[in-house]
Amino acid sequence: MSQFVPGLGLVKGMGLTLKRFFEPKATIRYPEVRADVAVKFRGRLQLLYDEYGALKCETCFQCAQACPIECIDMGGLDTKGRFHVHWGPPETYGERREESALRRSGRAVPDPAYEHFRPFDLTTVDEILEAHDYDPKRMLEILGATQAAFGHLPVAALKRISERTGAWYALIYGTASYYAQFRFEAPGATAQAEAITARRPPDATFLDRLGASLAGGQGGGQGAGA
Amino acid sequence: MSAVSRTWDQLTLPGKFLAIVVPILAVLTTGLILVIVLFGGAIWNVILANLPVVRFIAAATILLLLSPPIAFVIIYMEMKVIALMNLRLGPDRVGPWGTLLSTVHGLKVLMKEDFTPTRADPVVFTWAPVVVFSTAILSALVLPFAPGLFGQDLNLGLLYFFAIGGLTVVGLLMGGWASFNKYSLLGGLRSAAQIVSYEIPLTLSVVGLIILAGTMSLNQIVQQQAGWFVNWFVIRQPLGFLIFVIAATAEANRTPFDLTEADSEIVAGFATEYSGMRFGFFFFAEYIGVFIISALTTVLYLGGWNAPIVLPHIVWAIDIGSLSGWILAIVAIVPVLGTVLLGAPFFLFRSRTRWWVALIVGFVLFNVLAVGLFGLWAYISFDWVAGLFWFVGKTFALVFVFVWLRGTLPRVRIDQLMGFAWKWLLPAALLNLFVTAFAFVVVH
Amino acid sequence: MTTTLPPGTHVSGDDPNVLIDDDYASYEPIPPYPPRTEREAEFYTLGDGEMYLNMGPQHPSTHGVLRVVLKLEGERVVDIDPVLGYLHRGVEKLCENADYHQTISQVDPLEYVSSLFMEWGPVMAYEKLLDIQVPRRAEYIRVLSGELNRIASHALFMGWFALDLGGLTPILWSFIERDEIVEMLAALTGQRMLFNYFRIGGVNGDLNHEFLSRLGDWMSRAVGQIDANTKLLNENEIFVRRASGLGVIDTDMALKLCMTGPNLRATGLPYDIRRAHPYSVYPELDFEVPTRSEGDSLARYLLRMEEVKQSLRIIDQCLHQMPDGPIMAKLPRLLRPRPGRAWAALEGPRGLYGAYAISDGTDQPFRLKIHDPSFIHLQAVGALLPGHLLADTMAIMASLDPIMGGVDK
Repeated sequence: MSQFVPGLGLVKGMGLTLKRFFEPKATIRYPEVRADVAVKFRGRLQLLYDEYGALKCETCFQCAQACPIECIDMGGLDTKGRFHVHWGPPETYGERREESALRRSGRAVPDPAYEHFRPFDLTTVDEILEAHDYDPKRMLEILGATQAAFGHLPVAALKRISERTGAWYALIYGTASYYAQFRFEAPGATAQAEAITARRPPDATFLDRLGASLAGGQGGGQGAGA
Repeated sequence: MSAVSRTWDQLTLPGKFLAIVVPILAVLTTGLILVIVLFGGAIWNVILANLPVVRFIAAATILLLLSPPIAFVIIYMEMKVIALMNLRLGPDRVGPWGTLLSTVHGLKVLMKEDFTPTRADPVVFTWAPVVVFSTAILSALVLPFAPGLFGQDLNLGLLYFFAIGGLTVVGLLMGGWASFNKYSLLGGLRSAAQIVSYEIPLTLSVVGLIILAGTMSLNQIVQQQAGWFVNWFVIRQPLGFLIFVIAATAEANRTPFDLTEADSEIVAGFATEYSGMRFGFFFFAEYIGVFIISALTTVLYLGGWNAPIVLPHIVWAIDIGSLSGWILAIVAIVPVLGTVLLGAPFFLFRSRTRWWVALIVGFVLFNVLAVGLFGLWAYISFDWVAGLFWFVGKTFALVFVFVWLRGTLPRVRIDQLMGFAWKWLLPAALLNLFVTAFAFVVVH
Repeated sequence: MTTTLPPGTHVSGDDPNVLIDDDYASYEPIPPYPPRTEREAEFYTLGDGEMYLNMGPQHPSTHGVLRVVLKLEGERVVDIDPVLGYLHRGVEKLCENADYHQTISQVDPLEYVSSLFMEWGPVMAYEKLLDIQVPRRAEYIRVLSGELNRIASHALFMGWFALDLGGLTPILWSFIERDEIVEMLAALTGQRMLFNYFRIGGVNGDLNHEFLSRLGDWMSRAVGQIDANTKLLNENEIFVRRASGLGVIDTDMALKLCMTGPNLRATGLPYDIRRAHPYSVYPELDFEVPTRSEGDSLARYLLRMEEVKQSLRIIDQCLHQMPDGPIMAKLPRLLRPRPGRAWAALEGPRGLYGAYAISDGTDQPFRLKIHDPSFIHLQAVGALLPGHLLADTMAIMASLDPIMGGVDK
């Protein structure tokens, strides 16, 4: 029919729009009306409780192992009250991840991969926390005192601070990494890298030798770049 | 730190606003009263002597003052109507049902940064929105809103309207060229081609109407459509009406002919580089254009300010002057009585309503009733109120149709658009013209 | 007190303290190096009356971040140079460093509107490597959820095809349509968009009451709703005249460009992976393969709408024929497939979606290569666009239905 009357299709379309004008609308008027969330919804970022009020999470680490971007972290005490058994911050887990790729590539695996798991005497940390009244708002002072006491910020100390002040570990880590005065490794940890750098020939001799072999006259204007 | 600056620091923001505005207003008011008292008679004589000029100034001022509110209403209508057709709610939060949204948008557009692109021609860039907006307002001066309510009653009203309306394309081209942007250039050139192509069917389609009416004055065209709705020109010129509406949609750059600002192809067309109030001017001018073409269609084809049926002439038979002393009593008692009587049902039959809430509801209802009765009285007593009511009603019904078109139809391509204008609308307009002229000659 | 400016600069008109290069605003999208290939040289030399127009990555209408440099003569497109890579996320490299299970969630955002198909490809490849027999109930659930996702994807296609042509309304209606389907899939999988539902050896969770009640409710209204939504466009003269005869591809050209899916079927060749190389339980299901012969944008649009109806048929049959049983095969927790390679291809809403997995015996795949249909189809714009007007570029690209997530991976 619409082939015979030009414009009839347009009119029919406009009729449909007018009919829709009077139909009930599909908008959900948030925040007065909230849409139902599916029972199986996996996007809630919270730990669930069962009907007896107990936490369902058993810290079995399966979610952290399965997470493709390694953003899940476990924390807490084990059955013996120790603080660091078999669990690690995602950074070290990332190092374990990287390790297999590194191993397969044939390059040397870095050594200090497990130092974070050394047993640790936490009384100094407890004293610092006590002095600052376990207040998460004074995090910078707490971190400054910890750095002064140990020379760097050990992971176990940060975990203790997180447990006692209630601030998230990721928050403390983020705060500490933002400021330049905090360091996460002991002052002697970069000795290997510095030793290698010290053994590099200065750029002038290297470029001279390169120029001599190429006979291309690389006038090395760069000074010693170390 | 002087006492003045200390006091200034202690004021809140509304306080600072009032502290500046109130003295200025006081000075201005005193000055105005003095001027009126001292020179009032002389001023009145000057006004009476130059009545046409004064009328023009008054009309232009009123139009300029009224165009932002009209544009706000049309913008809100567009957002709300298209949203309701899309099965969603549209503006919902800012005022009751979102009515204050377009006002807030207007204020926001004033607060945005107003910059000129580096290689843009600054003079042309600045004046393009001015040209577009002013042509829209100027062309509205000849529209008869009600019997006696028009800017000017030119003999060539219709010709003036089309002439000024054609100047819009100059503004669009200025904006498109001066922006130093290929998207704007494309938009400007497309708009030039489009508007020029559709001018001809637009003007030709009303020539038949001019033949029938015998005049180009818009006021007289409306007066010839008095009476029942069968007198309206849409009955006598249906093809002309159709061509006029299609060509007017193209003239106003509305969907389906909105490829000058097609935002899925050339971002924003000629207005790409505009921001702040200059873009606001383009935006306003587009919606004022919608209002103006709806108004023109109403004036030409749908009877203007005439009611569709002839109502019997009612006279308000109460003489206010004879009530003298009772007026005071009425003014004192009726509002209170009305509030209480209208609020009482809510208080009595709805147990959750507190007494003062019921009084507020009663007051609001009394106001609605009073305004309604006043409007009824004005409608009966003044013919310009009745005319304005019908004119605005018909115009906004047509604006609704334009918005409905926008919500439904996709866009045409530039070559299809020009082909449609030159191959279909122009011959149709000529056909309309010939048939009308032939019929006119035969009948007379 | 005059200061001399560096040559080639001028003072900004807005702020007298700012210097601007003289050619700052004359940006032509010509690369600053001499042309490296003949094609580049051909494209970047301007003829008489031609100009460049950069439809940049930020544009209201390119489907995602696609940059197309057009050489225009007035409004007519003479030549194009598409630039891809603005959404490249390194998915294939990330999959190399991830477990087999973790690659499933990495592959989800490839074509984010049809995530289940994106997961299905690698999962089928891994199952071939591990020689796993997927339980029949799991296969039926996969087909069911996959066809639902196909309907959602096609509904969205209708929406933005109309939007690129200028109609504001159909996209909102198709989002309402898609919202219902996506809520259904959220009841089944737990997520509304990047589902992460398929597992190697089955699916994550069984059908539950909420999903089935939403599905039943929707199916009873589905056909009428889809018909009503498409009625606005199918009979609209402006839409038909814009879309018909636009971007015509014939079968020969389509096969040379390696197009698959609805774009190929619209040219007349009834090639559907579900029939040509059957996988999963499709041999047991009865459905037709819609085909059209015109090969223009209107044919591609109408074909996808017919595919939606066929998908509804498949869903209906799945619900009737659903067997009982487990939904996941018995697998060890840590998967170490034998070293080898596997290729799995399936019919996604856009065409042939393939995954080529190379395993070296460890718990991480050595390589996961994705063959994405949008990437192949986007090559066709170079052949289709020249000669059309600027307004048609959007329409043609929209009718090929690319998703930039899949193009750039």
